[in-house]
Amino acid sequence: MITTGLTFGELATLMKHSAGVTVDPAQLEETPETPFNELGVDSLGLLGIVGELENRHGVSLPTDAERCKTPAEFIALVNNALAGV
Amino acid sequence: MSTQRPRRAVVTGIGVVAPNGLRSDAYWKSVREGLGVLDRITREGCAHLPLKVAGQVEGFDASALIDERFLVQTDRFTHYAMAAASLALDEAGLGHDEGPEEPFSIGVVTAAGSGGGEFGQRELQKLWGQGSKFVGPYQSIAWFYAASTGQISIRHGFKGPCGVVASDEAGGLDSRARRPRRPARHPRGRRRGGGGALAPYSMVCQLGYPELSTVDDPDRAYRPFTAKACGFVPAEGGAMLVVEDETSALDRGVAPRATIAGHGATFTGASRWQESREGLARAIRVALDEADCAPEEIDVVFPDALGVPEADRAEALALADALGAHARRVPVTAPKTGYGRAYCGHPYWTPRPPCSPWNTAWCPHPNVFDIDCDLDVVMSAARPAELRTALVLSRGLMGSNAALVVRRGGGLAR
Repeated sequence: MITTGLTFGELATLMKHSAGVTVDPAQLEETPETPFNELGVDSLGLLGIVGELENRHGVSLPTDAERCKTPAEFIALVNNALAGV
Repeated sequence: MSTQRPRRAVVTGIGVVAPNGLRSDAYWKSVREGLGVLDRITREGCAHLPLKVAGQVEGFDASALIDERFLVQTDRFTHYAMAAASLALDEAGLGHDEGPEEPFSIGVVTAAGSGGGEFGQRELQKLWGQGSKFVGPYQSIAWFYAASTGQISIRHGFKGPCGVVASDEAGGLDSRARRPRRPARHPRGRRRGGGGALAPYSMVCQLGYPELSTVDDPDRAYRPFTAKACGFVPAEGGAMLVVEDETSALDRGVAPRATIAGHGATFTGASRWQESREGLARAIRVALDEADCAPEEIDVVFPDALGVPEADRAEALALADALGAHARRVPVTAPKTGYGRAYCGHPYWTPRPPCSPWNTAWCPHPNVFDIDCDLDVVMSAARPAELRTALVLSRGLMGSNAALVVRRGGGLAR
């Protein structure tokens, strides 16, 4: 089965939908180490993003996913999990 | 009894989101003119319910006052509370973007009878329609009755003592009366039940109350103190007050609009309206005593006006018990007959008239004619009057009775 990885653009969309936080996707990609809490995404917001990705891809993500501090860390972890690594 | 009087709590800011006005000035103008805005319920998903008439908030643009983050994460009842808080803080000169100078001296108290019904319904529908993995995590806080207190405190960085009073309409008065305990500026809040109560789920939760009016004519649905009384009409919305110690207000150069002079609260049991006579009378006496106020000093009474004949009779008798002969002379006005009973929100709207142009008028009582009790109820037109002291009454459907004495301006400045 082919699964597409999570991009910064998709993460920006999920942040808006699940947590009400608007970020510029280009900005997100440029400074991926800016912590979620500085961007305004709290732990419940990240949990909502994890839930949405799990529903969309029909998989369970590792519990570490909701503990990620930054978009860079989150995207790496999610893409590894989706790739079955 | 203690001879040490508590510090004088004054109102310095008022924010209103009501069916008859989205700002306090618009609200006051509608009240003064006796505008009736009760109407057939138009909210989606409500058409099949037996409750037909309500006071609905129209044209409310939450995004103009609240960040998108809070809009996504909270229910409509919190949107109303946050918008009202923002308006009240601006009016009190405390609406700083950079956060409060003394965060520990500001707390948030709201009154909430229910919680985020609209948000809750949406997530529960996902639970039963799609499964537990489709329920969003903000459900855990958004439908909680304390959500508005929490979110207002987070949004503005207020770190003082916070709380929520849950006793239906009486809770609105009780939360206003919780006094500052420390060098305090206390924004007090209030909110009313259930997703702006006008979500299908929150409406269904109300249907078991026999006190609810199911009359479908907006002009006839809510007529307290008359032989045609048939229950109350619900309303949605919210209001917040900034309440602070008078010396702190004067130090900041802010003129107090009103003083919370006295408060009394009692409990007489759910729907035991006959017994509420004794409870309400006692609450009035306690409030008058705390305010050091003689019955004759009361210039206007804003009654509970539930619209249930037994409850209205009990209220008229309670006023006679507590105010003596003055009960038949003092003007009584319930502007809520024009926009509905807003659960915990109502007591916050009501003090608005006494806190505003005091010299203007007692408000007329929309839709109320042929008074069937021994009270001087103000009817078709406003009466000019010099108002100094108001008595505000409320009862909760679960048995709480509350009375508040509000005086114009501040004591030190008076």
